[in-house]
Amino acid sequence: MKLETKDVVVNLSKKDIVKKVSVQVKDKQFVGLIGPNGSGKTTLLKSIYRVLKPAAGEILIDDIDIKGVSVKETAKRMGVVSQFNNIAFDFTVEEMVLMGRSPHKKAFSQDTEEDYRIAHEALAKVDMLDFKERNYTTLSGGEKQRILLARTLAQQVEMLVLDEPTNHLDIKYQIQIMDIVKSLGIGVLAALHDLNLTLMYCDYVYVLKDGKIVANGPTEEVITRDLIKSVYEVDCSVERNERTGKLYVTFYSNLSLEGKR
Amino acid sequence: MDNIETKKYTNARHALLRLLIIVFLIGLILSIMLAVTVGAVKIAFSDVYKIVIYNATHIKLGNFDFAVLLGDLDFVSRGTMYEIVWNVRMPRVMMGAIVGMLLAMCGVVMQATVQNPLADPYILGISSGASLGATFSIMIGASAVFTGTLAQMGTAFWAFAGALGSMALVMALANVGGGRITSAKLVLAGCVVGSLCGAFTNIIVYIGQDAENMKNVTYWLMGSMASARWNNLALPGICAVLGLLFFLTQMRTMNTLLLGDEAAITLGVDLSKWRKVYMVLTSLLSAVAVCTCGIVGFVGLMIPHIVRGFVGSDHRFLLPIASLTGGIFLIWTDVLARVIIQNSEIPIGVITSAIGAPIFVYMMIKKSYGFGGQDR
Repeated sequence: MKLETKDVVVNLSKKDIVKKVSVQVKDKQFVGLIGPNGSGKTTLLKSIYRVLKPAAGEILIDDIDIKGVSVKETAKRMGVVSQFNNIAFDFTVEEMVLMGRSPHKKAFSQDTEEDYRIAHEALAKVDMLDFKERNYTTLSGGEKQRILLARTLAQQVEMLVLDEPTNHLDIKYQIQIMDIVKSLGIGVLAALHDLNLTLMYCDYVYVLKDGKIVANGPTEEVITRDLIKSVYEVDCSVERNERTGKLYVTFYSNLSLEGKR
Repeated sequence: MDNIETKKYTNARHALLRLLIIVFLIGLILSIMLAVTVGAVKIAFSDVYKIVIYNATHIKLGNFDFAVLLGDLDFVSRGTMYEIVWNVRMPRVMMGAIVGMLLAMCGVVMQATVQNPLADPYILGISSGASLGATFSIMIGASAVFTGTLAQMGTAFWAFAGALGSMALVMALANVGGGRITSAKLVLAGCVVGSLCGAFTNIIVYIGQDAENMKNVTYWLMGSMASARWNNLALPGICAVLGLLFFLTQMRTMNTLLLGDEAAITLGVDLSKWRKVYMVLTSLLSAVAVCTCGIVGFVGLMIPHIVRGFVGSDHRFLLPIASLTGGIFLIWTDVLARVIIQNSEIPIGVITSAIGAPIFVYMMIKKSYGFGGQDR
């Protein structure tokens, strides 16, 4: 499945937040979306997963504009993990994950054994099967985030849209979640804060600043000292880790360099 | 191995909840049977059932009328006892069951629709609009303003018209400025229309001089099942059955709605469409309930709450159990309304609140309250 935006413009309270952005996620490609706070990453993703309507431009799934497709049809093919929101009503973890099956079900149909099997597999994948009887609202932030990933896994989609999925997680679960997503072997479009995670997992990256794409290309070619300086206004060094063979970024602040001078 | 264990747990819980639906259904039928025997006039159990069974079945075979088995044909088909049991008590009890079910059902759906457990079926200004309509009809009278058909319409019609008018106004206000209808917009629009209608209602009452009318308005505003007759039972009854059948097909969508706007959309629910459909339907259904019985507060807000505390948020179980509970609850509060003071009647709204408030406080104190969870 291929996901594409063409010159998408999104405005919030009459201000253009996303300005003519075109991105493309090819089949099974892991694409990162980076950029400072307020650069429009979340807004762009929301227009892709249909919470916001773009003011102009097209969003295409396999070259078909999603405008003419029902939300149920897109939900069968594209899953979303965003930052968890608090819900006022409580469900058990199992019920929560089972809801990932709903795009595939008719309104009145019962959950079958197959649905339970898929939900339990998804829970096992995020290491949360033992929590299935717990109430969702009693979980910690990181646990909630893993349940939401499990729900999306149960959706059995061909494309994942992630909005800072590792935000509330400690490092173990950041890596776990990214590993799970990577191992699915499906197309991914992920807004990420952590440049090192981006370097570890993304095949291709788009850099967003002030609502525009300022750079894009294979991850290692795009994330450079100069780019980070110009986009994030932070000094750093980008070096290769011998063990992983991947690049990694070390940031400097003026304060941390002071002692050295 | 773990999977097998989970399935057992799930099935056991679901089986229990399904059993609970049947238990409550039986409870509702038993409540109807028992409530009809209670009233200001003492009538023997056996006489009550003779009348009910005869009139409910009308068993005839050729020239042979089974009524002779029940005793005197005259006794069961005419006379004071027949009037009290079959034409006063029975419709009242049925009305209690129907209105209770309607309000509780609408409460459940409304709370899912606006994703707020504090919503009630009156959130779209139904109660305030209905009050205004009823007050207008009682204090001023339609014939003073309108001619022709409109002048002939009774309080129920004007209450219904007021309810629908305020619903339309609230929906229009929530739509102002474009964008999706959010629950915050709805609640605010409901408040605006509520206070507007309240102002008009008050001015009508203030100007009005007739003490008798004023008493009638007050009485209407607190709700009563006393006006229930067989002929005004049909509409709410049909609405309750059709409404319940429709919402039973919507349980999966409603469950998803509880997760919030974003989650609902990403799980394939066309939020804007369903939100509008549910709001209009619940408003219509609660308007039907209100226009025959006045404002019966509390049931639509608290019954879904209390039931959710025990069975959880899953609408497959919450919706039917809450509806049945609402019916049972209103049957018995109406019984209390009839018998608590001899030879007089207390407005049912007073009793629903008087019983409901302490129950709710008890639940809060117990800290068992998590908007529908099991962890205590």
